[in-house]
Amino acid sequence: MTGNNLADYLTLGLIMFSIGAVGVIVRRNPIVIFMCIELMLNAVNLTFLAFARFTPTSAALADRAESFMSGQMMVVFVMAVAAAEVAVGLGIIMAIYRLRNEIDIDEMNLLKG
Amino acid sequence: MGNFELIWWVLALPVIGFLIQSLLGQRIVGLFGQTYGKKVAGTLAVLPIAAAFVLGAGLTLTLMDMPATSRSVVMTLFDWITVYSISIPFEVVIDPLSMTMVLVVTGIGSLIHLYATGYMAEERDYTRFFTYLNLFIAAMLILVLGNNLAMMFIGWEGVGLCSYLLIGFWYKDLANAKAANKAFITNRVGDWGFMLGMFAIVAFLGTNADRFPAGDGRYLSFDRMLPVLASLLSENPGIATLIALLLFVGAMGKSAQFPLYNWLPDAMAGPTPVSALIHAATMVTAGVVMVNRMHVVFEFSPVASGVVAVVGTFTALFAALIAFGQTDIKKVLAYSTVSQLGYMFVACGVGAYWAGMFHVVTHAFFKALLFLGSGAVIHAMSHEQDMRWYGNLRKYIPITTATMTVGWLAIIGVPYLFAGFYSKEAIIAAALGNHHATFLGGSTEFTGWLLLVGAALTTAYMTRMTLLTFGGAQGRWQQPETYEAAHADHHAHADHGHRAHAHHHGHAHDDPHGFFYTDEELARREALEPHEHHHHLTPDYKPKEVPVSMWVPLAVLALLSTGGTAYFMEHHHAFQHWLYPPFGGEHGTGLTMIKGHPVIDPEAISGHPHGMLGNKMALVGLSVAVMLIGLAYAWAVYGKRLPDKEGFDMSRWAKFRLWAMNQFGYDAFILKLLVYEGGKTVGNACAALDQKLVDGIVNLTGAVAQGLGGLARQAQTGYVRGYALVMLMGGVALLVYLVSALSGGAR
Amino acid sequence: MTVFMVLSAIAILAALGVVLFSSPVRSALCLVFNFFTLAFIYFGLKTELLGITQIVVYTGAIMVLFLFVIMLLNLGGPQTWKERFEFRTVLGFGFGFALAAVIASQVFANFQYFDKPQAPDSFGSPQALGRVLFTHYVWPFEIASILLLIGIVGSIMLAKRKL
Repeated sequence: MTGNNLADYLTLGLIMFSIGAVGVIVRRNPIVIFMCIELMLNAVNLTFLAFARFTPTSAALADRAESFMSGQMMVVFVMAVAAAEVAVGLGIIMAIYRLRNEIDIDEMNLLKG
Repeated sequence: MGNFELIWWVLALPVIGFLIQSLLGQRIVGLFGQTYGKKVAGTLAVLPIAAAFVLGAGLTLTLMDMPATSRSVVMTLFDWITVYSISIPFEVVIDPLSMTMVLVVTGIGSLIHLYATGYMAEERDYTRFFTYLNLFIAAMLILVLGNNLAMMFIGWEGVGLCSYLLIGFWYKDLANAKAANKAFITNRVGDWGFMLGMFAIVAFLGTNADRFPAGDGRYLSFDRMLPVLASLLSENPGIATLIALLLFVGAMGKSAQFPLYNWLPDAMAGPTPVSALIHAATMVTAGVVMVNRMHVVFEFSPVASGVVAVVGTFTALFAALIAFGQTDIKKVLAYSTVSQLGYMFVACGVGAYWAGMFHVVTHAFFKALLFLGSGAVIHAMSHEQDMRWYGNLRKYIPITTATMTVGWLAIIGVPYLFAGFYSKEAIIAAALGNHHATFLGGSTEFTGWLLLVGAALTTAYMTRMTLLTFGGAQGRWQQPETYEAAHADHHAHADHGHRAHAHHHGHAHDDPHGFFYTDEELARREALEPHEHHHHLTPDYKPKEVPVSMWVPLAVLALLSTGGTAYFMEHHHAFQHWLYPPFGGEHGTGLTMIKGHPVIDPEAISGHPHGMLGNKMALVGLSVAVMLIGLAYAWAVYGKRLPDKEGFDMSRWAKFRLWAMNQFGYDAFILKLLVYEGGKTVGNACAALDQKLVDGIVNLTGAVAQGLGGLARQAQTGYVRGYALVMLMGGVALLVYLVSALSGGAR
Repeated sequence: MTVFMVLSAIAILAALGVVLFSSPVRSALCLVFNFFTLAFIYFGLKTELLGITQIVVYTGAIMVLFLFVIMLLNLGGPQTWKERFEFRTVLGFGFGFALAAVIASQVFANFQYFDKPQAPDSFGSPQALGRVLFTHYVWPFEIASILLLIGIVGSIMLAKRKL
């Protein structure tokens, strides 16, 4: 897509991030909360790639890891980590469900002091 | 200048005596055996004082040779305190006032030392007694000779200490220890006033330091301070009143004026020589000496002088009334001392300071005589002090009777023949005619009239004492009825057992906390000791006259109490001019009058003395009349026998007399207020402070921690979404801050 | 430009759907839509490999996993979640909006002048990525693979009935 400037992509990423943040707070189902977290991670990915594409490379970074490449590397690793995180997190939710037979996040307040 | 260096020997000799007694005394007694050893030690105690008297007399003669306006020699031993701009050297002044007191102290002191060698001869702690007595003489000499207030204070404190040590000489009896404590602590209250007065003087002079000769920081020295004070205080009468009142508080404590008098009767718990020396002749007159030294301050404050005069008058009458209720011969003399001290302070209050000193000297003679005589009586009656057992003693102890009669005649003021008349006349005349002191804005002439009433009372109770002791047809101890009456009344017996003896083994019920020896321990120690006195009055007891060492001092003092000495002191105002030369001298000692002084003129007092009486003979006639009234009353009541109303049966005593016996409730009131109730209150307050305040603060910190924790705990809700919300809020806040900081900084 | 607008509109709507639907199945499906759209946007940014990876990994694996779990827990049925209304919700909305506003103020002001892509067009190709990934970033790569291994082991441990 030509003719876009950086601000457009960043705006999109910002809106997605905000929606995801609100969703984490508002929803009570932990699976949905997870999904909102994924939303936020994706927004961040988009921001990284937008910056990788549009910002200039400094001379110091030119030989080692160009900033446009490093932005993509970041996204790669975010994806990997997100995958692992989802796997483990859903496993936790399953274990909790098996224990309590319900997954209302408001009921899980054993950390209450 | 002569040999004024000898003054250091006058000071040093008692100190040397003290050191010999304390370090070598017991060794001497051990070396020479009990009887001879004590004689040697006693001689070694008397000699320094007698030598000091001789030296003092020589110095006085040298002083008399000097012209009247320059009789003041200051001798400095070393520089004691030099701090910032204040300098207090160890200095003494040789001037008429100090030499008069030196003669009185060492003269009467040596006579009493001689007497004590006989009186205390059976004591186990013989040398300890003379140690303290010599130390007392040394401290008293420092007090009267000192040239600055700090030196006077050293002596002041020193005599207070020796008074404590000597009153509590027979310390094994708890009552004596309590009396010693009472004396010391009451004195301390007075010392507080004295110190505040000193501080006030230094502060006042410090703010006006420009009037001082440059470079001389001796703010407290009399020769420097008094001339400056004279010029300063004329502009600041309020400061004069303040300083004068503070110094008078000190005098009240030391000289047993109301309200700080209640230690003196209890001080009779000490041996009789102590009562004679300290609590009659010398220590209690220190207040009068101090007022004489600082008379400049009192002269500028009519208000303070009025207070002094009124307090003196009240004390004189109060103590005289109490004396009527006493049955212990020493207590009668103690209250008589308090009363006579009141007379001296009235003299100082109305501006006739020299009359106060005159009465100090004559009172020293006859009161020491009376006390030593009473000691002889007590010694003769086997340590029985209650007058209800006496009677008709003139038959058995004639020398004592003769000397005591002289003392009695002196104190009641028999005109012209005996010493007391001259000094009392001087005081009453000055009180009636003075224009100096004001009380509540009015004149203080009423003090003179009240002192006349006091003279009647004095005559009455002293005659009572003399008649009960020496008069009567038959001695009461020889009559069996007395024993029945005494043993029937439990009070009398207990009084007999406790109060009458200052010296006996302590009873267990007297010592609930077991500070002193138990009865078994005491019995064991008693078996080791040579003597413990216990009265053995039986109807066939015959009193014996006292030994030579005891009646010689009595005879000498009796001679001095006759009119001869006093007549020569009074003649042509000799004593007055000796102490206060008329209108001379810019050289500042405490005693020369300040030239151009507008307030007081001693000639004015003695020139027109008698107020509305108009002339001298009228006053003489009035005082003779007053004396005869007192004599008549006492003779009528006590002439033949002890009245039933004052016998051993306390239920027959008149209410007023019983009240007087208890000091009109004052002592009990003070003890209850300050010691028992006051102590309890302070104790409770401290306990409450500790429990409520201190513990409260500690508990408060705990409670605060608990409260804050309780508050902070509520943030841990356990709700994940709440945590997430808070994270969001924090993130937003951080971002806002960063944006504003960056945009503010970058642009 | 318009392509981008359309795609971003779809993405935003899908995101809103994730948050607002009460049934978790519908939320998951909306999220799938979102990821898909994002992949196309990545294509537009010339990072083709990452776009494909997005579809394969995120949509294909992660969302499928989500749907499995939702189905397994029987949450997608007719009973839907009733969300209570709380004060927290309002605060959440408010602060979310504030967050967006704060960042947007910076984005709009500063970044709209960057309209020329600086990266070469081939920067998103597999060769370029691979060259960098296996040389300069080999250490994080290996760590990431260990992380994935740990994740596998962990989720198996958690999901077992009996340990």
